Amino acid sequence: MPNESGSVYGLTILSPIIDDPHARISHDLQLRMHLGALPRGEDSPFAKVSSTHMARLTVMNDVVYVGMPACEEHLQSQYLVFESNFDGDLDTYLRRMATEIPDHVDSVWSHCIGYPGAGDVAAFESYMKKCQLTTTFYFADVNDKTVQQTLRALQTQAAVASFIERNQGKPAAELQNAFTKFLGKLRAAPDPRPGSGKDQSI
Amino acid sequence: MSKLNETDIQGFVLRGYNFPLARYMFLHLADDDRAGQFLDRLLPSITTGEHWDDGKPDSTVNIAFTHKGLRRLRLPAASLLSFPVEFLEGMQARSAVLGDTGRNAPERWESIWREERVNAWLGVNAMSEQALESCCADMLRIMEETGGASVVGWQDAAALKVDGQLTTKEHFGFTDGFGNPDYLGFERSTQPGQGKLMPDGSWAPLATGELLLGYADEGGELPVAPIPHLLANNGTFMVYRKLHQNVAAFRRYLEEKGRQYVGGKEKLAAKLVGRWRDGTPVELSPDSPDPAIVMDKKRNVNFTFGNDNAGTRCPIGAHVRRTNPRDAFGFEGRLTNRRRITRRGLPYGPYAPEGAEVRDDEERGVAFMVLNANLARQFEFVQQQWIEYGNDSHLGNEKDPLLGNRDEGGSFLIQGTEDPKNPPFLCGALPGFVELRGGDYFFIPGMTALKMMSTGTVDPR
Amino acid sequence: MTNITGKTYAMNAITPMKPWKTWILRGFFFLLGHIKPLQADLVNLSFIHFARWVVIRRDSFPRLSAAQPAEDLQYDYLLFFSNFNGTWNQYIDAFSAVLGKGLNLVWFWSEKYPGAVPVTPFKQYIARVQFETDFYYTAYPHATTNDVKAAHRVQQALDTLADGSGNTSPAEFEQAYVRFLVSVQRDLGSTGLAPIGV
Repeated sequence: MPNESGSVYGLTILSPIIDDPHARISHDLQLRMHLGALPRGEDSPFAKVSSTHMARLTVMNDVVYVGMPACEEHLQSQYLVFESNFDGDLDTYLRRMATEIPDHVDSVWSHCIGYPGAGDVAAFESYMKKCQLTTTFYFADVNDKTVQQTLRALQTQAAVASFIERNQGKPAAELQNAFTKFLGKLRAAPDPRPGSGKDQSI
Repeated sequence: MSKLNETDIQGFVLRGYNFPLARYMFLHLADDDRAGQFLDRLLPSITTGEHWDDGKPDSTVNIAFTHKGLRRLRLPAASLLSFPVEFLEGMQARSAVLGDTGRNAPERWESIWREERVNAWLGVNAMSEQALESCCADMLRIMEETGGASVVGWQDAAALKVDGQLTTKEHFGFTDGFGNPDYLGFERSTQPGQGKLMPDGSWAPLATGELLLGYADEGGELPVAPIPHLLANNGTFMVYRKLHQNVAAFRRYLEEKGRQYVGGKEKLAAKLVGRWRDGTPVELSPDSPDPAIVMDKKRNVNFTFGNDNAGTRCPIGAHVRRTNPRDAFGFEGRLTNRRRITRRGLPYGPYAPEGAEVRDDEERGVAFMVLNANLARQFEFVQQQWIEYGNDSHLGNEKDPLLGNRDEGGSFLIQGTEDPKNPPFLCGALPGFVELRGGDYFFIPGMTALKMMSTGTVDPR
Repeated sequence: MTNITGKTYAMNAITPMKPWKTWILRGFFFLLGHIKPLQADLVNLSFIHFARWVVIRRDSFPRLSAAQPAEDLQYDYLLFFSNFNGTWNQYIDAFSAVLGKGLNLVWFWSEKYPGAVPVTPFKQYIARVQFETDFYYTAYPHATTNDVKAAHRVQQALDTLADGSGNTSPAEFEQAYVRFLVSVQRDLGSTGLAPIGV
């Protein structure tokens, strides 16, 4: 499947944006303003759909004219681009979007043509799939680890560095003792929060 | 490749003079025709790359300008705007890019740099005190008589005397000045290890355009340069940074950690830097200094890191490995060839012998200069990515153990083996050993360009 | 508008292609996907978390209702999305220095593509065909792909040490611990903020 690499799925969505000549502010501009104000850290809606490694949303307002001798042409519609890299299969992911962040999804895609709303999960899934483009070539550097595994590993790495520094030069028995305690603490530590950009100290 | 016209290039660009004394004068230029008159009077004194057939002169003179200085010289607007944006902005405006924040932030710089009053750098190198004073007096006379420039500050610098002997050491006790790159067309005899690594393992000089404007660079094009060509040709860009050294903190740290590290204090120092204090590359001699290597020009810069990916000889984060990674990133060095810089400069402040009482607030450091064709691609990249960051070396956010800007304490890991004589060792709670006290970006024009600037004949387009 | 979140940059680019050339490009991507050495440079450069190329045929832009005007285009388009570490200039410099030939095979079919070397016209082209990102999220903004891979190696080494440390004597543990240290000593760099792009 060209949309997948290992256990990671690369979703590309192009949703045509409503062109309403009577709108006081056009939908693409409303969308840009809305997207610009969405939180990006641990309060981001995508932190809630916690299988998301990375995702972006942007307005593609036209194709690009590269100059002579290429010919100039333009799109009839503007498109909302949704690019996401997540764990697992597409159906599960779309269902999670519709059920876990329905208000956010609605507030973005309500600017798009034919959007049925996240309330009807089946209709939402079918809409998104109609907007989906098949990836021609997909590259994922780490494609066998989930978001949670990666966040855990980053937390472990920080904790290990600090453990090594604190216990350098200790006698064997003391070191072993400290390590047992450290391991217990590390394993009991709560899951790191996606999007926070911090490793909780152990 | 075209032949270099050495008499059109300022001598400071082509060679490190190896004079024991220097005074860097910082000038403010008059905001009228007198600035050009000053430059015109100065021109005959400027040292070019000419051959010294009659022996070395007693002193040398070179000049460079900030963007503000070029404005005072009334360069045409089209030329002024055609300079790269980082030079146009100056070093202070680039502080966020360079990681010059916290204790290195411009608020803490010396006032002439903070207030950006420096329009020009006038560098005098000399063999003796007498030659230095006499040359500087000549310069002052030209400034006074033309009214075109005044001195707003200066920096004296001198080779360190250790046990009465002139040395090439810096204040932390390391022999310095290895490893400037070779460039195509330069007459200096090339040393293996100083240019770029070729696929067959040999070394070749870098393209001239990595240093001089107007010549092809390693990317197969002419460097970004101001218009018109004559203004740019044979010129280069210079970074001036006054780097204060906390010698007391450095010695204290070595004492403390050297007691914990199996290899002891000197080996710890060598691992931090990547050279033993006498200059022996740790990569070539990881267990002890070796004067035979230091003396041998075929060996003292001739090494690679490709067979030491684990860093068990030269640590991955060691200063010389970070700032000149050679083949450490693979791809036959192609990720490093366009990031090379040429270094100049001398220490300032008296040398404090080992064991002598020393304080960090004493005036002591290095007047550090970098020459390169592209400030953003070369100096700024090295400073930002390799000194203040670690991702290229797969070291995350770790900084250069020696030059890294820190007051919060960072760490540095000495990679080791399972052999108890060479264990891994984590140097934590690193203090800031080096602090920035000011500086700026300068343009060092070629002689033709200087003449055009002094007479106001740069083509206005 | 933000192309950057934490240590990662979101690049979007769109380039026009004459429709008959699209098939050649598809053939190349098929090879790239099936011949591992071709991907090796991308992996070794190690500054891309995720990247994709999407060919969109001129008649296949999503059309959701009859009221939506059909697109009327002469070109197919190549979309490129990358999640990379480092600054824009650093990324393109490295691409040009190391991956030039591979990139040429991808973009050669696009109109007015100047080639990846020399880098200045290549950068001008990328700047022209790039479009900005309005919203960008990453689950681990403090980590580059190098950081992520290092962290997974540390995790694995720690798990191994932990598994074997149940009933060992202190002396045995110390030996195992030294082996652990040696195995993770390249992978302990801290995470955090990235330098600023220029």
